[in-house]
Amino acid sequence: MAHSPLCVRYTTTTIASARRPLFSLTLSHSSTTPCISSIQPRRLLHNHCARTTTSATATRKSFRSKTTSSPSLLRRPYHSTHHPDPPPHEYTNSQTTILSAALRHVPHHGFTRDALTLGARDAGFLDVSVQLFPRAEFDLILFWLASRRGLLRARVENGFFEPDRQLSVEGKIKALIMERLRMNSEIKHQWQDALALMSLAGNIPLSLSELHALSSDVLYLAGDSSVDATWYTKRMSVAAIYAAADVFMTRDASDLAATEAFVHRRVEDSKAIGDKLGGIKECLGFMGSTAVGLGRSWGLKI
Amino acid sequence: MNTTLTLRQCSRVHSLRPAVLDFLAPSTLRHSASRQYNSSAPKQFLAWDQNSSEKPPTNSSKPKYVLNQQQREFLDSALRVNQAGELAATLIYTAQTPHVVRSHPHLRPLMKHMYDQEAGHFSTFNRMIAKHRVRPTAMYPVWQAAATFLGWSTGAMGREAAMACTEAVETEIGSHYNEQVREILSWEADAASRGEELDDELKEMLTTFRTIRDEELEHLDHAVENDAKEARPYDPLVNAIRLGCKAAIRISEKV
Repeated sequence: MAHSPLCVRYTTTTIASARRPLFSLTLSHSSTTPCISSIQPRRLLHNHCARTTTSATATRKSFRSKTTSSPSLLRRPYHSTHHPDPPPHEYTNSQTTILSAALRHVPHHGFTRDALTLGARDAGFLDVSVQLFPRAEFDLILFWLASRRGLLRARVENGFFEPDRQLSVEGKIKALIMERLRMNSEIKHQWQDALALMSLAGNIPLSLSELHALSSDVLYLAGDSSVDATWYTKRMSVAAIYAAADVFMTRDASDLAATEAFVHRRVEDSKAIGDKLGGIKECLGFMGSTAVGLGRSWGLKI
Repeated sequence: MNTTLTLRQCSRVHSLRPAVLDFLAPSTLRHSASRQYNSSAPKQFLAWDQNSSEKPPTNSSKPKYVLNQQQREFLDSALRVNQAGELAATLIYTAQTPHVVRSHPHLRPLMKHMYDQEAGHFSTFNRMIAKHRVRPTAMYPVWQAAATFLGWSTGAMGREAAMACTEAVETEIGSHYNEQVREILSWEADAASRGEELDDELKEMLTTFRTIRDEELEHLDHAVENDAKEARPYDPLVNAIRLGCKAAIRISEKV
């Protein structure tokens, strides 16, 4: 029976900690009246539990609304110490539980439906609860990317740069890219399949926005504070370096040494290009201001 | 440290004072009063700059007002527009100054004063943008070119046209800051009705916006004093520039 009330066992997850207060509230509610609300999108949680409907229609409705909602990755404006960062992804608690359990099966089964089903089983859900993920395998990949990004953030907050504090911004960027790539090393053999899935036409927008989120996070964590057009070029070059290194790594038989050299070369390349462009711009600006100054000294009205 | 603390408290008292009609302020009318208020501005800036990195002391036990998604997006686009606006303002003054100063050397201190204030605003918003991780506008190079061209062309048309340009730009910018101040004040009222209060960063931002708004309107006064209304042709010029400013603000809010 697809829509029967699910018996849910909750395991603590590190990633969704921000949502736990809200969650524990509904948990106490649903412990008295076992309702399906715990596997619904967060926005519906409130209304639904207040009404405590367990009718099949409401359940079906909630499932449909799940399929239309999508984790928006780019909506992260105005960060402040007083208004903490939103979690790196927008999956609900039970989704997070299933997905993080499924990730343990990825090295063996790859980013597949099998891994999802096994994860759901491990977390104490019925097999059918993989319906929570309308994008199936791609949800698993997105969760992998977003949760690793969250881990990267947490690692920097826990003193990733403490040993060598005087590292330059560029050095930090390199270190962060390598750190993120190292997180992929355990699933390296499955990653080509994941990349193939990510490059399907329908999946490209979300993949790209996740890539942008990663490069933006890397630059922020590295302490870059560019506030002009370089904001865009820097994010693009970090994203390009990371994506290239990601592909390179899937064919790297050595212990990431070749990948590290590759990242190093790419960073040097982009620095060289940036220096060239900066030099050209400076030269043109100098020539322009000289011409204007010369004209003014001749009495031209410019 | 003590002095900065007292300064900070002073500025907080200042900002918490019920601003009755302050935000309605088309302050072309109130000359001397606005000048006096402006004179205290640098000190507030100083306090803001020095303490922006450290956590301010929270001596009130009221819960903090939590911004929702729309409010965050509003702040996001507001800061982006403000940075773009100040970028344009500095470039306009940079491009105008040589023309204006050559034919009217007595305007050198005024142009320098206005430029310095705009440069201060620009660096303030640059810091805010970096701190709050706001995306700068994608039209950055376009605005750079457009602002330089505007400043250069109005400067070449003479002192009156340059001042008319200042008048038009500052009118738009000033009313735009007014809208932002009004919005944040409405949040403050909302917070007060819930028994909460804005966090210190937002309060400082409100103070900063007000100070900058008043300085922009002071530039407007200076422009009018220096025969902005004498520019020929006045109406088409000012209207065109104002329209351009409005369009640029709308665009910068989005991209």
